[in-house]
Amino acid sequence: MIHILGIRHHGPGSAKNVKDFLEALKPDIVLVEGPPEADPLLQWVNHAGLKPPVAILVYQPDDPQRSSFYPFAEFSPEWQAIAYARRNNIHVRFMDLPMGHSIALENESRQVAERPGSIEPSINNYALRSNEVAEAAAIRKDPISFLAEAAGYHDGEKWWEHMFEHRRNNEQVFDAVTEAMQALRETFPQKEDRIEQLREAWMRKTIRQAEKEMFRNIAVICGAWHAPALVSMPKPKDDNDLLKGLPKVKVECTWIPWTYSRLSYYSGYGAGIGSPGWYDHIWHHPNDDGTRWMAKVAQLFRTKQMDTSVAHVIEAVRLAEALASMRNLYKAGLEELNEATQTVLCNGESILMQLINDELIVSNRIGEVPQEIPKPPLQLDIEKLQKRLRLPATADFKDYTLDLRKENDLERSIFLHRLQLLDIQWGERHDVSGKGTFKELWRLQWNPELSINIIEKGNWGNTVEEAAQQFVIAKATEADTLSSVTGLLEHTIPAELHRAVEVCIRCINNLAAASGDVIQLMEVVPGLVQVTRYGNVRKTDADLVSGIVNSMLTRICVSLPAACTAVTDEAAQKLLELFFKLNDAVNVLQQADITGQWQQTLQAIAAAGNTSPMIAGYATRLLADYKLLEGDELVRVFHYAMSAATPPDKAAAWLEGFLKGSGTILLIDNDLWNLVNNWVNVLDEETFTRVLPLLRRTFSGFSSPERKKLGEKAKAGGSGTASRAVAETGVDEERAKQGIPVIMQLLGIKNLSNDQQ
Amino acid sequence: MSTLLRQHAEQLYAQELEELQKQDTGKRPTNWKLTPQAVVTYLTGGKLKNGFEVSPKYIGNKRLMEIAVATLTTDRALLLYGLPGTAKSWVSEHLSAAVCGDSTMIVQGTAGTSEEAIRYGWNYARLLAEGPSEKALVETPVMRSMKEGKIARIEELTRIGADVQDTLITILSEKTLPVPELNTEVQAVKGFNVIATANNRDKGVNELSSALKRRFNTVILPVPDSMDEEIDIVKRRVESFEKIMELPAEPPALQEIRRIVTIFRELRSGVTIDGKTKIKVPSGTLSTAEAISVVNNGLAMAAYFGDGQLKAADLAAGIIGSVVKDPVQDKLVWQEYLETVVKPREEWKDIYRACRDLM
Repeated sequence: MIHILGIRHHGPGSAKNVKDFLEALKPDIVLVEGPPEADPLLQWVNHAGLKPPVAILVYQPDDPQRSSFYPFAEFSPEWQAIAYARRNNIHVRFMDLPMGHSIALENESRQVAERPGSIEPSINNYALRSNEVAEAAAIRKDPISFLAEAAGYHDGEKWWEHMFEHRRNNEQVFDAVTEAMQALRETFPQKEDRIEQLREAWMRKTIRQAEKEMFRNIAVICGAWHAPALVSMPKPKDDNDLLKGLPKVKVECTWIPWTYSRLSYYSGYGAGIGSPGWYDHIWHHPNDDGTRWMAKVAQLFRTKQMDTSVAHVIEAVRLAEALASMRNLYKAGLEELNEATQTVLCNGESILMQLINDELIVSNRIGEVPQEIPKPPLQLDIEKLQKRLRLPATADFKDYTLDLRKENDLERSIFLHRLQLLDIQWGERHDVSGKGTFKELWRLQWNPELSINIIEKGNWGNTVEEAAQQFVIAKATEADTLSSVTGLLEHTIPAELHRAVEVCIRCINNLAAASGDVIQLMEVVPGLVQVTRYGNVRKTDADLVSGIVNSMLTRICVSLPAACTAVTDEAAQKLLELFFKLNDAVNVLQQADITGQWQQTLQAIAAAGNTSPMIAGYATRLLADYKLLEGDELVRVFHYAMSAATPPDKAAAWLEGFLKGSGTILLIDNDLWNLVNNWVNVLDEETFTRVLPLLRRTFSGFSSPERKKLGEKAKAGGSGTASRAVAETGVDEERAKQGIPVIMQLLGIKNLSNDQQ
Repeated sequence: MSTLLRQHAEQLYAQELEELQKQDTGKRPTNWKLTPQAVVTYLTGGKLKNGFEVSPKYIGNKRLMEIAVATLTTDRALLLYGLPGTAKSWVSEHLSAAVCGDSTMIVQGTAGTSEEAIRYGWNYARLLAEGPSEKALVETPVMRSMKEGKIARIEELTRIGADVQDTLITILSEKTLPVPELNTEVQAVKGFNVIATANNRDKGVNELSSALKRRFNTVILPVPDSMDEEIDIVKRRVESFEKIMELPAEPPALQEIRRIVTIFRELRSGVTIDGKTKIKVPSGTLSTAEAISVVNNGLAMAAYFGDGQLKAADLAAGIIGSVVKDPVQDKLVWQEYLETVVKPREEWKDIYRACRDLM
């Protein structure tokens, strides 16, 4: 005798019906919709360590992104059926089309479609899709909603819930479901979807197989939509013909923890449910009239510092009951309870309902998988590290502020950085408020799909360290641009992968040597210098990096003067920015020989007659900043550049470079000011008109107070000596002395007089 | 036709209530004229078994009305909350008309509402002549509805001073009204309940104390969800206005109503209907009720000063009047709207011109 139980995936009512039905029927085998490859995994159900929500992950070992999930919650009818079979030690099997075939079929159709360049989705949604209640491809609309509309409901989900899930008396319910679906399938004949036909054929084949093995009482648990197809069996030969010669790939499967939020349809899961938390509640408390639920809501509100009295709860339950009786429901459902909560507890406001939705209705939680289940080694290593470093995987996000001076925190940071390198995006690094390189803020949220990434990266190594090391090395050796390797290096150093760092540096060195493009080198150096700063807190390979920075800087210094000749204005602008950053980097390094080298290069650039004037101007300015050009010498150089023989546009470009980014130098240095002022004064009208736009461009780069001050200075007659006089004579030495101790304190310098005391 | 300027809901819709009563076979709460389901049908409209059509009074979410009616069946009072012009008083009137057939037990809340207006007052001539007695007592609508098991309505509850509001606590929790002067009390009869309204836009209102708040179930009436819903509301209300006022004007074209509703919705939400342009929002609430009165006003203008057909010119003054509440800021908002949104719309030239002329 074959009993077909058409169910809705993740319906607590269906789950209860299935459980009751099986207990009454006492079948000798249970067949469940699911991938047959996962049959060996079924022995783990009812193991104390396997706590739903969990999912069976089926993947193709040589291409783990081709994978599918079969999620189960405690209130999933399939889970209950399997659990029943395990409890009573009877056979239980999956009967869907093997994943090996469906993945292969999908690969095939992908090749036929041949869409090069289309990026594959990170998760293959096949099983998610295939778990839907009804999936007639021809009807976009859920076919159940047609039945619902006929019964006067707006929503197919709701109708199903009232008809089948909330029902108490369930004797004939499975027959009714089959009949209803039969009618639907007749009205909306399926489009010739090959996969669907194959799946149903395989299910029938599995049933026949069971019959052949002399099982008497066969219980079949399948999505409601498939039920009619399993009741009326065609000839075995038809199915066998259909299933002949299917392509096949090798797949493996394992249990992974799943989350409630992934079960809800907000996350795009086809057979998703809106309220896993609520379903969980009614599964555990099937006779709750809303009181227990309301008490939960009240408790939640109280933990959030919102006063909620027992009277509130009583009133809310009463209102929910009144609403249910008005709507002719035998019991208040989630909608009635929500409306009562909003009206009574939230004073009509809907804002707090969001809280209830997140905390109770979806009630995000993560399942557990026992240690003993065979898992990929990388997964095991990650779990071990999570345990040791006390970083549990959670369904909701959690923030960690790591203090790298502490041993444990440093290890955590290293672990998280390594995962990042492996593209396992568990954590996300955020900026920390406050200065200092010893603090890191991480936001961690576990996402079941990460399991795929872990399996995928498993072929790089069996431990996180090993895998990250190999992965980075492979990536670095493949890279062909300097910037991509330096980016990689920047992340590798905090992950403390010494070998990988070495390889990165070697790659950078090779690429730098091969690269004739000085601009590319200049772009990379500031990033590398950034990396050397980690040397302070992390006892890492900063030395190695600074070595390479030195050699790169040497390369730059050698070829830079030539690169500054004969460039267009736009290119000069870009080069100017790089100069600016590079100069900063050199200052950060604070190494005398490098700085000396850099200064010599600047001098060469400034002195060369054919350097682009803007760059020459800027180089001169940097030299002035280094105090290598001062006083009369600076005046001389400026005058030379501005002299009448130089074409005015060139002179203006030089000036623009010279004054780049700061007008203060003009304000403070009176000799310079006089120089510029005199130069402008001697320009004849025609030349002045010609250079005016260039001058305007230079001056528009200054901040507005600077511009204002410059204007005032020019108005005051251009000498500017008055302000200097004030500065020199206006200081009261005695008063100034009084402020010194405070300034010392602010600077953290110990006051000498205090020491003496 | 009645010569009354405005009839009560139970008078205007007497026939509907009667039909509902005839068809209504379910179990009624004590002293209710209809079953809760029938009350909801009365409010949201529908077809009865014998084919009688009940007109919808509240157009919007039916679930809100179900919550309101369900609240009245429990022992909690109902507080209708929302922006001005979201049909709070309208719903309150129709609810009490349907539940107890009497929407007149009403107390208007003001800053000057005293305890005597809610509990009871005295006829001082009698009091002096005869001393305290039942006869010298002046009953309030609240007291009367307690005695008769009806619905008492309190309008603008939050305008009433906090001390006076709190006299309601005993009435709502103990369902009794003590009269210490006569050493007696009035105990509420089954069927008594209170519907209060309050709006959340005004400043300087008195927040309910949490003790009182706990006695109310709050239902927030929202502004209409969709354009079509709002147009439907305006159309129905304008039609009934025309009938009552016996205006000789022709009924307004749907297109005219659509334009008014569009203007109101755009200014209220701060964005054009197509969602492309941001608009400044004026200080007024621009409720549906105001849109209704603009059309009504325009109809009267058309009937008595125009050619009987509703034209843009008849509406312009009304629109400006309801948009420009603050003579400085709102005027700028309106001018900007007129120039940037109304002017470019090809088929809105008449409105643009009419409004320009008035500014």
